[in-house]
Amino acid sequence: MSTADKKVNNERRSFLTKLTMGIFGAGVASFSWPYLRSLSPNILYEPPQRFKIGLPETFSQGVEFLEKQRVYLFREGNSFHAISGICSHLGCTVKYTPFRQQKEMKVRNLDVVSTGEFHCPCHGSKFRDEGTNYAGPAPKPLAWHPLEISPDDGQLLVDISQKVGRDFRLVV
Amino acid sequence: MSLTPKTTLWDKLVWSWRPESNREAGSSIVSNFLLHWFPNRVTLKSLAFGYSLYLGTITFTLFLILTLSGIVLMFLYVPSVERAYWSIKDIDFAVSFGWLLRRTHRIAAHLMVATVFLHMFRVFLTGSYKKGSANGSTRPFNWVLGVGLLVLTLGLSFTGYLLPWDQLAFWAITVGTSIAGAVPLVGEQMRQFLLGGTIIGQNTLIRFYVLHVAFLPLILFGVSIWHMWRIRKDGGLAVVEQIREEAVESPPELPKKTKTYSILGIAKGTTVHVKEPSLLNKANSVPSSPFLTFRTLTIVLLTLVFTIGLALITPAPLEGPANPEVTPNPAKAPWYFLGLQELVGYSALIGGVIIPGLVIFGLALIPFLDREQKYIGRWFSNSSGRKWSVAGAGWGIVSTAVCMGIGVTMPVREMFPGIESQLFFDIVNPATLLLLTFVALYFLVLKITGSTRLAATATFSGFIVSFILLTYMGTALRGPNWDFYWPWQSWPEHPIQF
Repeated sequence: MSTADKKVNNERRSFLTKLTMGIFGAGVASFSWPYLRSLSPNILYEPPQRFKIGLPETFSQGVEFLEKQRVYLFREGNSFHAISGICSHLGCTVKYTPFRQQKEMKVRNLDVVSTGEFHCPCHGSKFRDEGTNYAGPAPKPLAWHPLEISPDDGQLLVDISQKVGRDFRLVV
Repeated sequence: MSLTPKTTLWDKLVWSWRPESNREAGSSIVSNFLLHWFPNRVTLKSLAFGYSLYLGTITFTLFLILTLSGIVLMFLYVPSVERAYWSIKDIDFAVSFGWLLRRTHRIAAHLMVATVFLHMFRVFLTGSYKKGSANGSTRPFNWVLGVGLLVLTLGLSFTGYLLPWDQLAFWAITVGTSIAGAVPLVGEQMRQFLLGGTIIGQNTLIRFYVLHVAFLPLILFGVSIWHMWRIRKDGGLAVVEQIREEAVESPPELPKKTKTYSILGIAKGTTVHVKEPSLLNKANSVPSSPFLTFRTLTIVLLTLVFTIGLALITPAPLEGPANPEVTPNPAKAPWYFLGLQELVGYSALIGGVIIPGLVIFGLALIPFLDREQKYIGRWFSNSSGRKWSVAGAGWGIVSTAVCMGIGVTMPVREMFPGIESQLFFDIVNPATLLLLTFVALYFLVLKITGSTRLAATATFSGFIVSFILLTYMGTALRGPNWDFYWPWQSWPEHPIQF
């Protein structure tokens, strides 16, 4: 055997090593994919996100908390809007705390009369009664959800999977 | 020290097997699989209670207690949203000794979190993460394994916490998974993968259950076995380095060993003990059996007695059944997460993702930042180590108190009402400030002393103090709406429902 034959072909060796590792990696990946993918559900048996909450005239003036939907329903005369009760920080349910008396304040450069505010029990975030976060760690305002009138029986419908702007009002 | 032969009838009756010579003690190590864990001989320094405090042994014993009580609880608990809470009620009130099982499991879990932290503190403060001069020692890597075990322990606590499916559990998981959601870009996908859907439900419960009873314990078991095996491979406890230093000065009495033992294909090279001249002699060491086995057994039994004793006097609380409609006020995590909850109270991204991430990464990095090979296995290194440790602790008290004071008295968002950018509040807040004071502390001490060990000691001592203070703050000084209350102030009555 000549010396040239004995010499290790490092280029070929490293290529074969890389090839083997590559095939091994691809094998591991394709082997684990079904296991991981099966853990990401295709069907969610979760409660519906769109609720009938009752006839508009059954709600009293002011604020009402709809526990099941975790939504605050506001009624001013015949105008309705719905604000999510889920804190934009880490998902605790915020609590509406009414003021002793109405306050006039400037929110988002608008002069408004405010009757209360939202407090979060988990990390102390505070929100104006139209959802603007003004204290604590909450990074975003509270979400507003669209309201509509159900065509079949005239009940209010709230869709908590959808969001609307903070000027949304449903006038009945 | 050597073995005294036990030959009287009484001795033989109370202990059926008692080695009567060093040779017999040594062969017990080789012939018994369980004892194979230990070296043949062990140094007196390693045995000393005041050095290691046996915290690793205690932690692993607690893990065994948790495994045992956990397996029995698995027969009694039903991981379904309809029945989980009521099966816990049954365990507490209907099953014979069910209350004791649950209390033991819960208290052992709390103790294990505490001893994992204490063990880490001990290993850091004695400088035991340093490589030393032993042949083939990779102690820095074993420290990294230890940091992994800390994370696994916290993961097990967190997943176990959900299973009773009471209010505490439900809201802890709401907050915990939302923290995962605060991770930029992939957060929402991560949150939904953890939950198995978009909201907490049956999918979430079964996921956390499997993680808690199978996945995480198996990984933790494997890694802790690896962790303990590495201690042998790294030449024993770090305190042995001192004997090695002495041995360099005076040549060993025994000839150098030439036999090479190795586990072919699994570990490279031979063990430390084979290649090095023996450091162990009759003056500085004793046979592992019975000296180490007896101590280990004592520690195991004391841990068991202490845990059960504590379980007998500490009831395991259970709040009302999980109710997604009502958040308790205040909603608090278990004590070891309350420091984190305090930080999350400033910014979810900084307090929940970046600071914990940096702390874990920083901890894992310690042995690679501090490569000084001095004072290995000595508490606080030396007198200036003690001094800087106290200074760092003082810095920790002041900086934590100042940052928390700023957090309570000067809410950033109210000081800058005109700014809408969330990034601004994620960057400018007391939690970030606290992080920066510790970075400053490290580099300040490094500049003054020129020693990475002293800088790390000061920073780590500050970290311990800060961790304790933050935990205290979250536990005792936060009331409804996470408002600040002094211990002597009473909390206002808050209606739970709207």
